[in-house]
Amino acid sequence: MNSAGIRLRSLTKRYGATIALAGLDLDLRPGEVLGIAGPNGAGKSTLVRILAGEERNDSGELTFEDRPWSPVGDWRAVAVVHQEPQLFPNLTVAENVLVGREGVRARRPRLGEADARVMQAFGIDKFADRLLADCTLATQQRTEIARAVARDAQVFLFDEPNSALTDEESDELFREMHKLAADGRIVLLVTHRLGDLCEHAARVAVIRDGRVRAILEGGSLSEDGLALQLVVDSSAHSIGKREATQPTTKDALLILEGWSHGEAFEDVDLSVAPGQIVALVGVEGSGARELLRSLAGLETCSGRLEIAGRSGAQARRFSAYVPATRQFSLYSNFSVGENILVRLGRPEIAGFGMALKRRRMHRLAAEAVQRFFIKTATTTQGVRSLSGGNQQKVAIAQALSCKPRLLLLEEPTRGVDIQSKQEIYRLLRDFASAGNVVIMFATEVLEVYEAADRAHVVSDGRLSAPIMVHGYSQIESLATDIASLERHARENAESGYATRRGH
Amino acid sequence: MTSADSREAAASPSVSNAGQATFDLGLRMGGLVLAILVVALFMFIVKPKSFNLDVGVSVLRAMSSVAIMSLGLTLVIVVGEIDLSFGAMYGLGANSLAVMWIVYGIPVYAALPLAIAAGALVGLFNGVLVTGLRIPSFIVTLGSYNLIYGVSLWITKTSTFNPVYPPPGLEIPSEQLDFFTNLTASFGTHPISLEVVWMIGLALVVGYLLHRTLFGFRLMAIGGNPVAAQLARLPVTRYKILAFVISGVLAAVAGILDFSFIQTAQPNIGLSFTFPVFAAVIIGGASLSGGKGTIVGAMSGALLLAELQQGLALLTPGPHVQQLFLGFVTIGAVALDLVLTNIRKRRSA
Repeated sequence: MNSAGIRLRSLTKRYGATIALAGLDLDLRPGEVLGIAGPNGAGKSTLVRILAGEERNDSGELTFEDRPWSPVGDWRAVAVVHQEPQLFPNLTVAENVLVGREGVRARRPRLGEADARVMQAFGIDKFADRLLADCTLATQQRTEIARAVARDAQVFLFDEPNSALTDEESDELFREMHKLAADGRIVLLVTHRLGDLCEHAARVAVIRDGRVRAILEGGSLSEDGLALQLVVDSSAHSIGKREATQPTTKDALLILEGWSHGEAFEDVDLSVAPGQIVALVGVEGSGARELLRSLAGLETCSGRLEIAGRSGAQARRFSAYVPATRQFSLYSNFSVGENILVRLGRPEIAGFGMALKRRRMHRLAAEAVQRFFIKTATTTQGVRSLSGGNQQKVAIAQALSCKPRLLLLEEPTRGVDIQSKQEIYRLLRDFASAGNVVIMFATEVLEVYEAADRAHVVSDGRLSAPIMVHGYSQIESLATDIASLERHARENAESGYATRRGH
Repeated sequence: MTSADSREAAASPSVSNAGQATFDLGLRMGGLVLAILVVALFMFIVKPKSFNLDVGVSVLRAMSSVAIMSLGLTLVIVVGEIDLSFGAMYGLGANSLAVMWIVYGIPVYAALPLAIAAGALVGLFNGVLVTGLRIPSFIVTLGSYNLIYGVSLWITKTSTFNPVYPPPGLEIPSEQLDFFTNLTASFGTHPISLEVVWMIGLALVVGYLLHRTLFGFRLMAIGGNPVAAQLARLPVTRYKILAFVISGVLAAVAGILDFSFIQTAQPNIGLSFTFPVFAAVIIGGASLSGGKGTIVGAMSGALLLAELQQGLALLTPGPHVQQLFLGFVTIGAVALDLVLTNIRKRRSA
C-alpha cells in the first residue's frame, strides 16, 4: 500500500448559477479516518458524489497514488455507505455481496471462498441465505461494506451512516470503520454529528462555500471547535441581528403536554405564544423531524395538542406543513399559480357546482407572487422553470394560502440562494408578527441565529430547555451553547435510561 | 452561493407569454388534427366515391362507445391510476340490463338505472381496493376485469339476448322496446344516431368536470404528486375512488347505448375495447404517470382511431392492416411527443 492516497486539487463544480465547489484542495490518506463537516449547501454532498463517481468535476485534478484518477470510470474502487443502503432488497445477503462480479460464465454464480471469508469477517455469514429486505438496517449496511470489501474497494465514504441506527449498532459500525482504516484503506466520514466526528476521525476537514476552510486535528479537534468553525465568517452572510420580538399576546397559541410518539420522542411539553419563531435543532434521528411532522398530524401520537384553543382534528385546520423537499411540496405538472392555489377549495377558488373561479384564481396567484417575492415572468409558466429559492417561496405561499395559525417547516432554506434565503426569513417573520407561530426543524446554527426567536435542542427524543436566540450578539457563542446542550443531552442519555432511539 | 436570479429585478407577473402548457397542448392537438385531416385526405384521394357525409356520420357513430369509455379512463389516468376493467364493465352494463329486462321482466326504466348503478358499484370496488388496501390499480382492475366478465357469463348463462326477438315464452312490451331503441335512434337527412349526441353531451360534462371544476383541478394535483397531495391533506382517497366510479358508470353507459343501437348483447362484448380505449387516451396526450390528460385529446384520439378503422374497412386490405395501424399510431404518437418535448427542452436550456 502506497501512502500517497488521493489528492484533490482545485476541484470545482457548478450547478447552473450555483457554485458547489470553488477550488477544493484535500488529501485523503490511507489508514486514517478523515471527517468531513460543513453546513448544508457548503459542497459536502457534491464532494461525496464526485468521489463516488456519480458526478464529474468541472475542473481541477484528482490523483490516486500519484496517478490521474477518475472515479467515474473506476467505480469499483469506491464504496459509499449511506443511511439508506443502495442494495438489492430482492436478493439474499450472499447474492448482494456477489452481484456485479458474477463473471462471464453462463452458470449462476456461486459464492467463492474469499467472499465467504469476507462475510464471516463482517458477521453476516449467518444471514447469507436470508433476503436482504428481511434484515435489519445495520445488517444491510454491513452487507454493503462487505460487498465493497469483496470487490477490493480502496475508498470508503460513510455518508451520515448512523442516523437511523441504535447506539449499539452505530458503535459496531464505527468499529468496522476503524478496521477498514487499519487495513490501510481510505475512509471518509461525513456527518452532522459533531460528537461522532471528534470521537472517530483523526482529522476533520471543515468545508464552507465549496472550499476546505479548516482542518482540525489533535488538540484542536473538539465539538466546540467544530461548532465554531461551522459558523465562522457566516456573519458576513447574516442578515444582521434583530430586536427581541415580544409575543403579541400572553396566551399560548400552541400547547403540547406529554406529547409522545411510539419511537421518536417522548413526553414533550411546549408552549409557544403568538409572534414567535421556534427552531427545533437536532441531527437526523434525534426525533426533531418527527416532532415537527406530528404537529401537522402526520404521525400518530398521544398526549395533549392544542392549537389556537382547539384540539384534535379541529386543531389540524390551523396548522400548515411545508414538506422537507420540494419534491413533496410542488406539483411539476402545474403552473406557478396553480401550485400556490392547490390547497384551496370552496369558497376560495371554486363556487357553485365546484366550478373554478378562474379570474379570481389569476388574481389570487398574482397577489401571492407579489407578496411572497416570487420571481417569475408569469403565473402560468411551469413551476420547474423557477430557481430553487423561488420554488421554495411557492411552497411556502401554498402552505400559507389556507390561512393557518401555525406554520411548520423543515430546513426551510436548504439549497436556497442567499437573497431568497433572506426573503424567506422575512416572510416567516411577517407571518409570525401577524399573531401566528412558526416552528421549524433546523440542522444549521446559522438558520437558528437568523430566523428564530428561541431554539430547543432535540436529542434522543427529548426537548431541551429553550435558548433565547436574541440574547446572543455573536453566532459563535450560540453555536457553542447549542453544541454543549447536545453533548449534555447525549451524556445524560448514555448514563441514564437505555437506548430508545432507532427502529 | 450566488444565483443569477438575485441579480434579476422582480419582474411583475403578466400573462404575456401565457402558458407553456397551453402551447404544448396546442402543438399536440395540432398534430392530432393534422393526422385526422391527412387520413381523411388520403381516403379522398384513394377512394373519392366513398368519401361522403354518410361515411363521416358512421365514423362518428363508430367512435362513440370508445370515446365515452375514454372519458372515464382519462380521469383515472389523470389521477395517476390505471383501469383495465372498463371493457368488461361495458359488457356487464349491456348484459345485466338484458337479463333484468328480458329474462326477469323488470321494466327497462328501472333496469337501466340499475345497470348503470352496477357500473358505479364496480368502480367503488376498484377504488376502495386501490386506496384502502393499497393494491396497485393495475392488479385490482385486472382482477375485476375477470370477475366482471365471469359475472356476465354467469347471469347470461352464456347466451345472447336481443329484445326484438326475446327467448320463447318471454315478451317485451312494445313501448319499452321503443323507449330503448329510441335512445340511439337515427335522425336527419344523413341519418345520425342519437348515440353521437350522447357522446358529445357526456364529453362536454366530463370535460367541464376535468378542466373547469375544483374536482378536476384536484384530480390533476393528486395525479401530479400524490405524496404532496397527501401531505397537503387533499382528499386523495375520495377523489381516486370517484375517478374509478365515473369510469365504471361511463363504461356501463357505453355498453347500454351500444346494446340499444346494435340490439344484441353477448357475454363477451366490450372486452376487445380495452386496448383501443387506452390507445385513444394515450394518443390524446395523457401520461400514464398521472397529472396530464385532456378530454379534447381523448376524443380526438378516438376519432382518429375510428377514422382509420372505417377507412381501412372501406379499402378492404384485410384485418391485419387495421391492427398494424393501431399499433403504429399509438407508439408513433407518444414517440413524436417525446421527441418534441426533448427538442423544446434543449432549446430552452
